[in-house]
Amino acid sequence: MNTFQRYILNKLLWYIAAFLVAASLNFFLPRLIPGNPVDTIVAQMAQSGGTEGEARRKIYQTYMREFGLDKPLLVQFGTYLSNLAHGNLGTSFGNYPAKVNNLIASSLPWTIALQLPAIIIGWILGNILGVLAAYRGGAFDRVAFVGSLALSNLPYYCLAVLLLYLFSVAIPIFPSFGGYNPGGTPNLSLTFMLDVIQHYTLPFLSLVLVLIGGQAVGMRSMAIYELSADYVGYMRGLGVGDGRVVRSIFRNAMLPQITGLALAIGSLVGGALLTEVVFSYPGIGSTLFTAIRQNDYPVVQGVTILVTVAVLGANFLIDIGYGLIDPRIRSAQRGER
Amino acid sequence: MDELLRVQNVRAAYAVGGREVQAVEEVSLTLREGEVLGLAGESGCGKSTLATILALATKPPLYVKSGQMVLEGKTIDLTLGAGLPRELRGQLISILPQGALNSLNPTARVRELAYDVLKAHRPTIQRSEAYELTRQRLEQLGLPARVLENYPHQLSGGMKQRVVTVISTLLNPKVLIADEPTSALDVSSQKAVVGLLKTLLERRVISSIVFIAHDLPLLREIADRIAIMYAGKIAEIGTNHEIIDAPKHPYTQALIGSILVPEPYVRQKRVEGIEGSPPDLRSPPSGCRFHPRCKYAMPKCSQTQPPEFGTPERFAACWLLEAVKS
Amino acid sequence: MNLFLRQLLSNGRFRFSLILILLLVGFAIIGPMVNHHNPLFAVGGRFDPPSSKALLGTDVIGNDVFVQLMYGIGTSLEIGVIAGAVATLIGVVIGTLAGFLGGTLDELLMGLTNVIITIPTIVILILLSVAVETRSLVTMGIIIGVTSWPWTARAVRAQTTSLRTREHVDVARISGVGTVSIILWEILPYMFSYIFMAFVLQLASGILNEAALSLLGLGPDNTISLGKMLQFAIQGEAVRTGAYWDFLPPTLLLALISFGLLLLQSSMDEVFNPRLRKV
Ligand SMILES: Nc1ncnc2c1ncn2[C@@H]1O[C@H](COP(=O)(O)OP(=O)(O)O)[C@@H](O)[C@H]1O
Ligand code: SF4
Ligand SMILES: [Mg+2]
Repeated sequence: MNTFQRYILNKLLWYIAAFLVAASLNFFLPRLIPGNPVDTIVAQMAQSGGTEGEARRKIYQTYMREFGLDKPLLVQFGTYLSNLAHGNLGTSFGNYPAKVNNLIASSLPWTIALQLPAIIIGWILGNILGVLAAYRGGAFDRVAFVGSLALSNLPYYCLAVLLLYLFSVAIPIFPSFGGYNPGGTPNLSLTFMLDVIQHYTLPFLSLVLVLIGGQAVGMRSMAIYELSADYVGYMRGLGVGDGRVVRSIFRNAMLPQITGLALAIGSLVGGALLTEVVFSYPGIGSTLFTAIRQNDYPVVQGVTILVTVAVLGANFLIDIGYGLIDPRIRSAQRGER
Repeated sequence: MDELLRVQNVRAAYAVGGREVQAVEEVSLTLREGEVLGLAGESGCGKSTLATILALATKPPLYVKSGQMVLEGKTIDLTLGAGLPRELRGQLISILPQGALNSLNPTARVRELAYDVLKAHRPTIQRSEAYELTRQRLEQLGLPARVLENYPHQLSGGMKQRVVTVISTLLNPKVLIADEPTSALDVSSQKAVVGLLKTLLERRVISSIVFIAHDLPLLREIADRIAIMYAGKIAEIGTNHEIIDAPKHPYTQALIGSILVPEPYVRQKRVEGIEGSPPDLRSPPSGCRFHPRCKYAMPKCSQTQPPEFGTPERFAACWLLEAVKS
Repeated sequence: MNLFLRQLLSNGRFRFSLILILLLVGFAIIGPMVNHHNPLFAVGGRFDPPSSKALLGTDVIGNDVFVQLMYGIGTSLEIGVIAGAVATLIGVVIGTLAGFLGGTLDELLMGLTNVIITIPTIVILILLSVAVETRSLVTMGIIIGVTSWPWTARAVRAQTTSLRTREHVDVARISGVGTVSIILWEILPYMFSYIFMAFVLQLASGILNEAALSLLGLGPDNTISLGKMLQFAIQGEAVRTGAYWDFLPPTLLLALISFGLLLLQSSMDEVFNPRLRKV
């Protein structure tokens, strides 16, 4: 086995360990709730009067079958892991008999559509702002730096609340609720798309501003470090123009930021749950929020395991990336993180 | 020999933490066609600062407070600092930097820098043209053309320094300011770089070199004239022989004394022989800046600055010389 | 220490953030002392605007926003302090033991730390909060604390490793002083400022984590915190109703507290690690 394979195997074992820990927490913690969770939920359903005797028994049976609740706990855990391995997240309590997979599948695209562009655009703009602040210095730097610092330290849901109030209530430019007009049915017409974009703007802005701020602060200090490098002085000394010099700085300061981008994309699913809650935007966050309110544990567990798998997966890919680069570079860069 | 470049009354300071580091104080120099002017002195006496000013590459926190440069009949106001047209740099005067081992961008091939440099001065040049031009220049100077394709970490220290030398002179600048170009190299690489510089001069690629070093034996080999700097001022200037064999300033004498200790590898070492250390330039000593360390210091030395005794070509700034005259 | 104190106090940003935090703490302590209204007791109608009766108006069920704020800041700070203390305690114990003892134990403890760091904090937070029967203020603090110690552990371990080779530590070891005593007397005092700064960061993130959990509907039971105020405001549609007096105070205070604490930490860092801050 060569060094690279050993490195990857070692990493893989770590991530499997992390996954097992997360899966155990995911499985056992909700089981600490006193009483059989099925009893709890069935009792709740009876309270709200929604489900009749026959349906209730079916729920009971489904759940008993899925997790073998009459079997020993470890066997149940085995069943859970095997279900997970088959990509089966179980059945929702709250929306019985909907499959958790389907609930997540219908909300995940909204989250991705909201988060992925925000992360990528925030990353790009933040990097550009950071480099310019570092290179230009002076008043531009001070304004950009202080602004970015303030934005990135603002809890993202606070900014969401402020934007929601400012631009859909105080100055009603944008809709305040949902992912599209409640009356409309999703289709590909221009009117519907415009409607979707209108609903999209504020949640997107609330995320992208915070991301720009955070990225700019990080990139600025990286670029300041890069600016003091000898090659920058040399290029200037030979009369090379600002544009070309900034390009070199940008490229070099950018390389380490790619890790940050990959991590941000990995934490995309769980990264902005509250934005969706504030804007009542469809997506994983809203699904989770509803599930928590309804004690819909299978859905809660489905979301948490999804968030975990995405983050672990992204980390693992980054590690493979580092492994593919020269091992010396890898070890040096890992040390910095 | 004809005068090529003249700088007059250069004063410059770093603005740090609300205070000034007076790194260069009232320096005037001339440079003649075809010569190598050596500039020596201990670490921290302002050589690199003067080099940056001569190369027209100052930027904050370094501010030139006064001074002008006359080059090929053109007068350049040095106080403009970063406001000087960038086209002058590299074309008219070029720099061969201190610590040149890190002077190449680690993530760019050598040819990228060559292209950037050429493009900066000839906006219409094509990439292929730039590469070809650099390749020819490398080959003329006996360097392998393949280095164009290399990243810096693929080159040895000596090769890196030679490549940087070629890039610095790509535009045939009149003057090359070489700031300790060989300090970080082993002996054979030092020889190669010095040889390359001499070739460039012989072939008239460049007309003159200001060669900065903190050790004199190297300057004795390469320089025609030598200026000795102390605490931001020129303490003494003269021809190679005058400085090495008949130094007049106590500082020069101390420098030479500390070096002539017969040690085979002495040039690898820093100048250590003089007692004490250069002054803090945030508050330089009154009078002669050398007086706290000078064994000949007189009462007058700590009160009044010594003027330059002699001609602009051969002077020393020391009160001892006044006594000789009178 | 005195010297550090003087240096700290001569730092403008430190003074500013300290005063800010002290004002908030003072408000949270003195407020409930002079006011005897129950914050969870309605005093008016739905979203009454600010008036002399209710300084900051009322919320969706008629509670006095100003009174809630008095108690809410306190609750948030308390949860933050408990979370910070728990995280710092666990982090310091694990970090010093791993750093000082080294070897297999070090690898084991750091393995655990790294595994927990890789699992997203919000996941553990949600699962723990779902699992406990009732979420009292203390439970909340502990839950948040036990999920956020790994960063402190990592940093403390790094510090310990570098302190371990100091002369006075060797002297103590040779003269037969026990591990725990060495850690307590020869190592911890030398990174006190460091640990305190880590605590301040944990405190800030604890307060924000409380708010995040509350917004997901997992806030503390039977009490009011900034996070719960914001949650009530959002769920009660205060924002869309335009009842700015209800949602603005918790929003701004959360931002202000986290800003104040981060500023406090960074200004302390500036004083304690001057070299690090040149750029
Ligand atoms: N960027 C800077 N900021 C402040 N002071 C500087 C800076 N660079 C150099 N100096 C100071 O200027 C003086 C001259 O430095 P330098 O020109 O580098 O000397 P040399 O090249 O002869 O070693 C020294 O006292 C040094 O501390
Ligand atoms: S002027 Fe005085 S102090 Fe300065 S070098 Fe001459 S003798 Fe020494
Ligand atoms: Mg120098």
